[in-house]
Amino acid sequence: MQVSIQWLKDYIDFDETPEQLADLLTMAGVPVENVLRADEGLDKVVTGKLTEVVPHPNSDHLQVCTVDVGGKEPLTIVTGAPNVKQGQVVPVALVGAHLPNGQKISKGKLRGIVSMGMLCSADELKMDLANLPEEQKTGIYLLPDDTEAGQSAAKALGLDDCVLEFELTANRGDCFSVFGIVREIAVLTGKKPHWPEIAAKENDDARAADMVKIAIDATDLCARFSARVLKNVKIGPSPEWMQKRLEGAGIRAINNVVDVTNFVMVELGQPMHAYDYDEVKGHSLTARRAVEGENVHTLDDSSRLAKGGELVIADAEKPAGLAGVMGGLETEITEKTTTVVLEAASFNGSSIRRTSRAIGLHSEASGRFERGVDATGTVRALDRAAQLLEDMGACTVAKGVVDVYPVKKEPTAVAFTAAEVNRRLGTEISGAKMKEIIEKLGFAVEETGAEAYRAAVPSWRGDVSCMEDISEEVARIYGFDHIPSTTPRGDVMEARQSASQAFAAKIRRVLVSLGMDEARSFAFTHPLMFDRLNVPEDSPLRCAIPIMNPLTDEYPLVRTTLLTNLFENTVRNLSRKNEDIRLFEIAPVFLPKALPVTEQPDEILKLAGLLTGRREPVGWGQDGAAIDFYDAKGIVEQLLEALSIFRCTVEPGEHFALHPGATAVFKKGKEVLAVVGEVHPAVQEAFGVTKKMYVFEMDVATLLRNTAKDFTSQTLPKYPGVSRDLAMIVSLDTAAADVERLIKKNAGPYFKDVTLFDLYKGQQVGEGRKSLAFALRFQSGEKTLTDEEVDTAMEKIVAAAKKEFGAELRM
Amino acid sequence: MEEKIARLKQMAAEKIRQHTDTLSALNDVRVEFLGKKGEFTTLLRGLKELAQEERPRIGQIVNEARGQIEALLEEKKEELHARDMEERLANEKLDVTLPGRHKWRGHLHPLTLTLDRIKAIFMDMGFAVEEGPEIERDYFNFEALNLPKDHPARDMQDSFYITEEILMRTQTSPVQARTMQAHEPNSPIRMIAPGRVYRRDDYDATHSPMFTQVEGLVIDKGVRLSDLKGTLELFLHRIFNENIGVRFRPSFFPFTEPSAEVDISCVMCHGKGCRVCKGTGWLEILGAGMVHPHVLEMSGYDPKQVSGFAFGLGVERIAMLSYGIDDLRLFYDNDLRFLRQFE
Repeated sequence: MQVSIQWLKDYIDFDETPEQLADLLTMAGVPVENVLRADEGLDKVVTGKLTEVVPHPNSDHLQVCTVDVGGKEPLTIVTGAPNVKQGQVVPVALVGAHLPNGQKISKGKLRGIVSMGMLCSADELKMDLANLPEEQKTGIYLLPDDTEAGQSAAKALGLDDCVLEFELTANRGDCFSVFGIVREIAVLTGKKPHWPEIAAKENDDARAADMVKIAIDATDLCARFSARVLKNVKIGPSPEWMQKRLEGAGIRAINNVVDVTNFVMVELGQPMHAYDYDEVKGHSLTARRAVEGENVHTLDDSSRLAKGGELVIADAEKPAGLAGVMGGLETEITEKTTTVVLEAASFNGSSIRRTSRAIGLHSEASGRFERGVDATGTVRALDRAAQLLEDMGACTVAKGVVDVYPVKKEPTAVAFTAAEVNRRLGTEISGAKMKEIIEKLGFAVEETGAEAYRAAVPSWRGDVSCMEDISEEVARIYGFDHIPSTTPRGDVMEARQSASQAFAAKIRRVLVSLGMDEARSFAFTHPLMFDRLNVPEDSPLRCAIPIMNPLTDEYPLVRTTLLTNLFENTVRNLSRKNEDIRLFEIAPVFLPKALPVTEQPDEILKLAGLLTGRREPVGWGQDGAAIDFYDAKGIVEQLLEALSIFRCTVEPGEHFALHPGATAVFKKGKEVLAVVGEVHPAVQEAFGVTKKMYVFEMDVATLLRNTAKDFTSQTLPKYPGVSRDLAMIVSLDTAAADVERLIKKNAGPYFKDVTLFDLYKGQQVGEGRKSLAFALRFQSGEKTLTDEEVDTAMEKIVAAAKKEFGAELRM
Repeated sequence: MEEKIARLKQMAAEKIRQHTDTLSALNDVRVEFLGKKGEFTTLLRGLKELAQEERPRIGQIVNEARGQIEALLEEKKEELHARDMEERLANEKLDVTLPGRHKWRGHLHPLTLTLDRIKAIFMDMGFAVEEGPEIERDYFNFEALNLPKDHPARDMQDSFYITEEILMRTQTSPVQARTMQAHEPNSPIRMIAPGRVYRRDDYDATHSPMFTQVEGLVIDKGVRLSDLKGTLELFLHRIFNENIGVRFRPSFFPFTEPSAEVDISCVMCHGKGCRVCKGTGWLEILGAGMVHPHVLEMSGYDPKQVSGFAFGLGVERIAMLSYGIDDLRLFYDNDLRFLRQFE
């Protein structure tokens, strides 16, 4: 909602500047989002009387004006405008003015004559040209000749008003009106409002009740429906003062009847509607639910098919409007209208909200109904509208109000004590002070005991229903600034986080230490991504949960894998020439128990990483070699080690997105801990990437389950260990891991560990063969090992390798 | 004899001075004069041929000469060593301005860094860190928070729905209700719940369909609005700095009563008014309030016995203000040039 300062000042006097007022209201919970000034840039523009206008001696089109701007000395100003004459009063921009169009005024010299300012056109002052007569649209703007010189031009031009733009909270329906805001200003400034006297003179002999029939068929959606009938209506423009108020409120003037209904809506907060009586079939209006398929022909000339259940106001034949949202076209007020039915009703907020959302139409009226309209105020609004139109001489008013109000709203009251309010706020405000605050807000407060009260809630404050609400009213008027700052008392609490959170944090730290960068991506995806990723048709990963109302076509699904995001992030980085990529993400994926979804899905925390580009940063001593499978595998191995996951097996594996010959699966027993591999060339192609990429994927809960729980450090050995190297030639298809396993099995009691340190393929070992070189370490806790003891172990290994793999010792 | 000694001594000194450029040449000289078959050894062996009374005197002269030569040898050795060391150092001179060898260094995401800081501050104050599902029931996301269906305040949080009853959570607040329901009724709670949330907002410099929130909840006997003020002031002073201004403005949230929006003085202009704070000098940083009695009741707590406060803050907003980031999209764009700035 927005409202002009002038409209507020119609009902209350205050000394605060618009900015001060905005701040005061904001700090009391009535937030002003913007202060819009029409006089922006006009602070050095004044009215000036042209006391002399003579042609410029050195020019045939310039004129030299002597201008009285109220000061001692008149100014000399040179102008090129042809429409200036002696005796006129015009807006003058003084030296130093910074006009709304951006122009800065400085002292100038035009063909030898010093000019001390500029005479302004309407355009230069950013006036609304549409509302000006033709002759004022070009040339210097002419004020009435009797305008006093030297005053603010903004004031003389009527541009001194200022508009407050509110961003009201959903609970304060009462503040969606000038009256509501004025009530708040009164409480905050201590000034007394001067409300207008509202009374309609029923000066027509006709009785409204004889002319129109009003009914409510859906009492749950319409609590009250009141109507008046206006006769002898003369449609015309509304008076200028009213148009100006409406303009400040951001509402376009249409005609006197419509303008008055809008004016009353903003003034009192009660939305209204005016019907052309002669077009209302059967002269009856009923609030009822729409029937499915029923056509509502609305003001914007569109035919809207009812889904059924929407609240409509229908005449004897068909709906004459969507209640509280938009009126109907047939009963619209036109120039021919002579008799008017005025409606002021109280509709159910939820129902209005559903209808307005369904058709995507939010009006001033629907916004107010959604937040709640005071049902007790309908008749007053009708009286006010009738009074205003009568005062304009635009109608006569039929006798009586037709008022259907089946269940009267009972006044409510809230009991509170100063002690409980203070306990909630942490304050020591006296009961008397609280009573004073609450009374100023319009509550009738009765003292029921020592600092105990009963506050009768005013009809417009439907949002107040319990002690806690009272405490908020006290706090906001008392001032949040005056509430002390304390820290919670009570027992010391344990600041714990779950094992899984701590574990995820550790994974992040380890991966960062291994040179990986963390990504965070949207949890959405697109079915096309599954094709690109080569996900099999029958994979559960394709059963992603569809969003009912996605934002765009780009992301209709909730993700079931982190890989799609990793690829998207990689493609984006590559397109920006970030070519060395090592990204990982830890986030949940969402796997439905069944589709369509009937219950919450499983949310499974996953870890995935992608590597491509160089192994090391570019540098003069570094060879720029590309990352390969073993770099990616090394990261997985080191991560598992850092997470205390020991003794897992590695075997060739399968993954739809990975190269079948370059995929390894880490397992512990039958449980898969990690998959790592080169991205399948087809997937690479589908994402349009030519560089080789390597990917790993893990399930965080599985990792956590497999970490060694109890850790005790090992004492350092007292006796020296023995190192031996062993190079064996085996056939190319012998898996290194199998040879390693054989070594461990046969290395005897003193075996400590084994590391593969060289792999050789080539002439020296012959075609179809490779040499694997291992470094073995032996160690005893009780003695220094002898050569013989180690030799025995080595011989056993060699013999076993020969037997199992046909391995030859490489000398 | 004495003459011979003197001559030998002189010869040795000469050789040491002139003909020894290297340590091995110097060693040759040592062997020539002092070695097993060297001149002086031979001389000493010849002593027994001298008269008995001459032996001690001549012996002493030989030994003295030997000592002098040894001293000369030692001196020369040191000199040569020093020269070699100098040569080696000269040869080993590097261009130290050549860059060092680097390994790849990884980086945590700026939102992780910010979340870690937020968690650390609250954990210092005794808050537990709780979690909840991201795909949530309408009941926990809205209804248990005093936001019935068709409540106009739902407009503030346009939601992605999965079904009529299940949605992508629009806030981390449902963890409040879940935590309360997992606790013994009326038992004290002090928790934060960080996590991803989803709103049907356009993707632009200040909005995103997915973003990160931290919810906070404190429930105990006698928790006051002043406790909320004190706790959040402490937090904001620690996450930004001690000098930052903090302002509480009354507001409305269906799940709290009274409710407050919390502003900090603009970190860009220090409250003078600039583009970032739209000239107001203040930046909205979080929403908070005293837990609404309905919310307590719905989760089995008795508002007559306990009270509490709750708050919710946007992690992106705090990260943007802390690091001077002007476009929220950078967080989800994952451009490595951006990610690698955060150490």
